[in-house]
Amino acid sequence: MDVRPAGLTKRLLYLGGALALYGASVAAQGTDRRFEPEQISKGAALFARNCAPCHGPRMVDPQSAFDLRKFPPDEKTRFVNVLTRGKNAMPPLGGLFGPDEIDALWAYVVAGEKR
Amino acid sequence: MTRSLLSLGLLLFASCAGVVSAQTLEDLRNDGKNTDNVLTYGMGYHLNRYSALDQINKATVKRLVPVWSLSLDNRWGEQAQPLVYNGVMYVTNARWTVAIDVATGKQIWRTEVDWLPETPRVVCCGVSNKGPALYNGKVFRTTLDAFVVALDQKTGKQLWKSKAADWTEGYSMTVAPLVANGVLLTGISGAEFGIRGFIDGWDPDTGRHLWRRYTTAAPGEPGGDTWGPGDAYKHGGASTWITGSYDPDLDLVYWGTGNAGPWNPEPRPGDNLYVASILAIRPKTGELVWHYQATPNDPYDYDACWELILGDLKIDGGNRKVVMQLNRNGFLYVLDRANGKLLSAKPFEKVTWATHVDMTTGRPVESELGQKVRAGEWIEKWPGTRGAKNWPHAAFNPNTGLLYANTMHAARMYRFLPVEPFKAGQRYMFMEAKDPENRPADLPVGHVDALDPVTAQPRWRMPLQDFAHWGALLATGGGLLFTGKMTGEFLAIDADTGKLLWQFKTGSGINAQPITWTLNGKQYVTVLSGLGGLGEIVNRQKLGNVPQGGSVWTFALLD
Ligand code: HEC
Repeated sequence: MDVRPAGLTKRLLYLGGALALYGASVAAQGTDRRFEPEQISKGAALFARNCAPCHGPRMVDPQSAFDLRKFPPDEKTRFVNVLTRGKNAMPPLGGLFGPDEIDALWAYVVAGEKR
Repeated sequence: MTRSLLSLGLLLFASCAGVVSAQTLEDLRNDGKNTDNVLTYGMGYHLNRYSALDQINKATVKRLVPVWSLSLDNRWGEQAQPLVYNGVMYVTNARWTVAIDVATGKQIWRTEVDWLPETPRVVCCGVSNKGPALYNGKVFRTTLDAFVVALDQKTGKQLWKSKAADWTEGYSMTVAPLVANGVLLTGISGAEFGIRGFIDGWDPDTGRHLWRRYTTAAPGEPGGDTWGPGDAYKHGGASTWITGSYDPDLDLVYWGTGNAGPWNPEPRPGDNLYVASILAIRPKTGELVWHYQATPNDPYDYDACWELILGDLKIDGGNRKVVMQLNRNGFLYVLDRANGKLLSAKPFEKVTWATHVDMTTGRPVESELGQKVRAGEWIEKWPGTRGAKNWPHAAFNPNTGLLYANTMHAARMYRFLPVEPFKAGQRYMFMEAKDPENRPADLPVGHVDALDPVTAQPRWRMPLQDFAHWGALLATGGGLLFTGKMTGEFLAIDADTGKLLWQFKTGSGINAQPITWTLNGKQYVTVLSGLGGLGEIVNRQKLGNVPQGGSVWTFALLD
């Protein structure tokens, strides 16, 4: 619950950031420089524990609820919204995590399995 | 004709006896005798899901048509078994309890179930509800946020509401309650979130809590030494999310327990009583009379929750009163239900985690996979994590002595991840699983099986190529089986051959439990449609063109 206000400010902040970063990531041809390795590995552990049961180990499983490797990397707002509010059979999990953990999950989903 | 006259007679008798206004324990015990009513989960305390009704049969089923449908205004899935009493049908889902006039399909009342929108985060496998219980003028149900509720049958008004557990700690409820010997029994879900499982007994009149039988043993209790040092039993799982059966003569309730927590057994060396077990308990007190553990130490998510079907079987020339279970672990268990003695345990699907069950010790003999997986290696295990059979309930025809089940035919690649400390509300599993890469494309994903309970050999198998069935089976005296598909088709199958005889496409997917009943001497069949549950989650992408949304469908023969 108490994540929501923080998430909101973050979302607004992010909107600006995303526009700026969009150009950067195009220039870097897919390599994502937005995230620190520690943040990604923290997100990987949270993902393995809480998301992989439905989304597959490392986001890979033909029986996955939703192929998160295909989640648009420029739609963090949508990601945070889904996590907070849920969507159909996707439970609203946001309240379980602090803002830094949500950022870590986002980092992992966007950049964690790109090698 | 004879049947309708007979039921008329029964009805007259019932009204003279003055028991029409409220169902008694005697009514619950005799469920099935008066076919106008369906009073218990499983269509009888024995959970046979069998009705002798035969108007709808192999010859007439082609004239089966829908007679009414009612929207349940619910996007969460429909998994419930409706109950019928005195011309009123009672239906539950996670959102609503609904009373319906069976003659017209019109809603009489509906009462909302209120839970916080974030509650589904502690629900592993689909937000749903398995159904109500009826007793003494009340409708009983459980709520997603772990309350037990009683409503007035006439008005839907809430009479009492009692808290079973705190949902933020990972506890949730989808189970249909059971009324046995005047006590209301409920189970609990949450073994993926580090709960400590239990079965509760409640006073149906007041909602007062009578007793709690924890399903993981604490130090000092019998079985308390099967958890290793420390307090692993406090988060040891053994949920109780499927309704038990009841033998009124023995006064024993049979209730199965779920997987151990976490799935990685590293913090819980030992058998871990009473995870993945069949329990026989006294409904008045919760006293544990006997137990049988199917999967000691359960490292595989092999719940023993599934329906515990009561029947009389000829075994070695003698008549035995048995309890039967098609376990998630792939074995079909037959036990003497008076004392828990194991009579038979044969695989009904492909099993690689164990070579067999040792009939002298009653224990499974694990294959080499057990050591490998505990050492952290990837293994390919049969049955997969969803089991050789998941919760969709089997039916038992006491006349043919056959079990009919929707089974699964799948392996999973499986390995453990490092165990982290318990965190309330977060997953407590520490494993990962994926599909094997070499699975032949034409391998059936599941079957409808007709099984001999003692040999576990199929009389016939109906292979399923697209989706395994995630709804229960119903068997009838008309030689038919009813069940449904995730893609929405409601099916009638020839119980002797496994041939599909009839189907009708409902509005969403079917993952619920059909029933059959009569009104004015005419036979009806009812099933809920509304995609949900684990079957939806694991097939979400493939089911893209099957919309959500719950409804009730009732069918009868076109005159
Ligand atoms: C209980 C199973 C389950 C769990 C656990 C789960 N998800 Fe989901 N998730 C789903 C399902 C089902 C969908 C597809 C929803 C739909 O579109 O119908 C989904 C969809 C999503 C989407 C895409 C939604 C969109 O915008 O279309 C995101 C992002 C997502 N999940 C993130 C996560 C993250 C991050 C976690 C872990 C913190 C997680 N999920 C845990 C079941 C789950």
